[in-house]
Amino acid sequence: MIDEAEVRAAPLTAGTPYIELRGITHSYGPVLALDRVDFKVHRREIVGLVGDNGAGKSTLIKILSGVLQPSRGEILVDGRRTTFGSARVAMNYGMETIYQDMNLIDGMDIMRNIFFGREAAHPLGFLKIGEMKRRAMEILEKEITIEGIRSPHQLVGNLSGGQKQAVSIARAMYFKNQVLLLDEPTSALSVRETQAFLGHITRLRDEGLSVVIVTHNLFHAYQVADRFVILSHGKKVEDTPRGNTSAEELTRIVVGTK
Amino acid sequence: MSISAELARPTAGNWLKELQRRRSGNIVLLFVVIQVIAIAFALVFPDEFRYVSTGNVQLMLKAIPSLVIVVLGVNLLMIAGEFDLTVGATFTLSALVMAKLFNAGVPLWISVIASLGAGAIIGVTNGWIVVMSNVPSFIITLGTMWLWRGVILILSGSVTESFYPTRFFEKLFTLNVGPIQVQFIWSLAVALLCWLLLERHRLGNYLFGVGGNRKAAAALGVNTHRVKIVAFGITGLLAALSGIMSTVRINSISPIQGQGLELQAIAACVIGGTALTGGKGTILGAFLGAALMYTIQDVLLLLRAPGHYLQMFVGVIIVIAAVLNEAIKSE
Repeated sequence: MIDEAEVRAAPLTAGTPYIELRGITHSYGPVLALDRVDFKVHRREIVGLVGDNGAGKSTLIKILSGVLQPSRGEILVDGRRTTFGSARVAMNYGMETIYQDMNLIDGMDIMRNIFFGREAAHPLGFLKIGEMKRRAMEILEKEITIEGIRSPHQLVGNLSGGQKQAVSIARAMYFKNQVLLLDEPTSALSVRETQAFLGHITRLRDEGLSVVIVTHNLFHAYQVADRFVILSHGKKVEDTPRGNTSAEELTRIVVGTK
Repeated sequence: MSISAELARPTAGNWLKELQRRRSGNIVLLFVVIQVIAIAFALVFPDEFRYVSTGNVQLMLKAIPSLVIVVLGVNLLMIAGEFDLTVGATFTLSALVMAKLFNAGVPLWISVIASLGAGAIIGVTNGWIVVMSNVPSFIITLGTMWLWRGVILILSGSVTESFYPTRFFEKLFTLNVGPIQVQFIWSLAVALLCWLLLERHRLGNYLFGVGGNRKAAAALGVNTHRVKIVAFGITGLLAALSGIMSTVRINSISPIQGQGLELQAIAACVIGGTALTGGKGTILGAFLGAALMYTIQDVLLLLRAPGHYLQMFVGVIIVIAAVLNEAIKSE
């Protein structure tokens, strides 16, 4: 059996990382959620961010997506210091978050969800429905084909967990974001949907995107990630390339450092 | 191929299914059914139940616009996931501001702008308190409703204020176009504007987003606070417009007017298919919901039922809607 890792395009781990966090500390009141964490994501790299409940994974993702501002620490994009003051700013730097509780709106159709917050509109704010529909069809036909989806006007609320996830990914792909932040992406998916999803992730990486995948499931992470970062009680306890470790060893570290 | 051709033919069953697939399908169906029943009864008992008499139809078309315009605002707000219990007080206070200023010698157009401004300010203030405090809008606006009701009593001295504007202004709202008073046409125009805003404008997208999944909307870079405050502002503005129109029509504004309007408006939205939990609703549904509320009021009047029957109806509708909402959610 051929080792998947060798066949895939190599991540650009050398040189300046696309995103780098230095000494990030964040506390919720008296609770220290992150303690001087360094974290980087290179271009065309999948980073598996793992750790037990309360390790600080979600806090880190929220900081990367601009939803939370860290108490202390620096954020660098392409080597330049910056701040992610809001979700909008982070999006402008190419961060796209797909949350476990879904960043889709059930009461709206697929087209409106894909373009939510980035609508094609006339100067006065009136929507270019025709254009969005045409582009949505394009996305559904070319970027990502989703099983069981025929029209961009289907309500997202009527889709399965896997279909929803695929819509989120189609959106991220279409807008050519640099870094995809996935928070427990497989928790709502069936086994088959999970495999399709992990396939999408790998494809995205090969097309040049970076991905941060947060998961409880070390085996899912191990299938796709190029590097693993393990958090425990708000501290980084491990940062290792895939070649230096195994799913079993990762499990030992996560459980052992509890 | 013959089977699909068979299916595509608009048979009675298909037509019904097609209608129900539309977001406002159920309310259209309900509205038609109730109208058919009312008209049928009126035809069978023309003397006891004068529903289709010219007088009654004209009265309904005159009365519906006031409620419709308030409901259109409340509907946008409910889609954004919030409630405004002050709309009844806003309706009265704005009208009172206009009448008082005009009667004190202020030019009419300034009085009208001040009135609309007062409505918008009341709405925006509600919105601002709600987003800043993170307290449910039901509670905040319950409080501000009593505040503004008090202001109304102080300002009016508990007496009805008369209002006789210029002839042109009066005609603007009372002219008859054929059998229809122009107010009804204005309400259709406002409905069209609201539709454009909700279905064809970026703001409409954000209203659905903020009401349907606030976290997602925020994560996608939408300023949810601003969207909610704008929705509250529009609601206040439309309540003021409705107050102005009603005052022009009856040439006076009484301090007790508009009481109960807030719950009637919520009930109308709920009948029209707007979710109590936000993220769902249509303009057509809200319009027909309001028209249906008035139809029911009218039917009760024609049957010589006491006025409080409508209150009971409103109460029951809201409780049923809330229970159904919860049942659907837990399913």
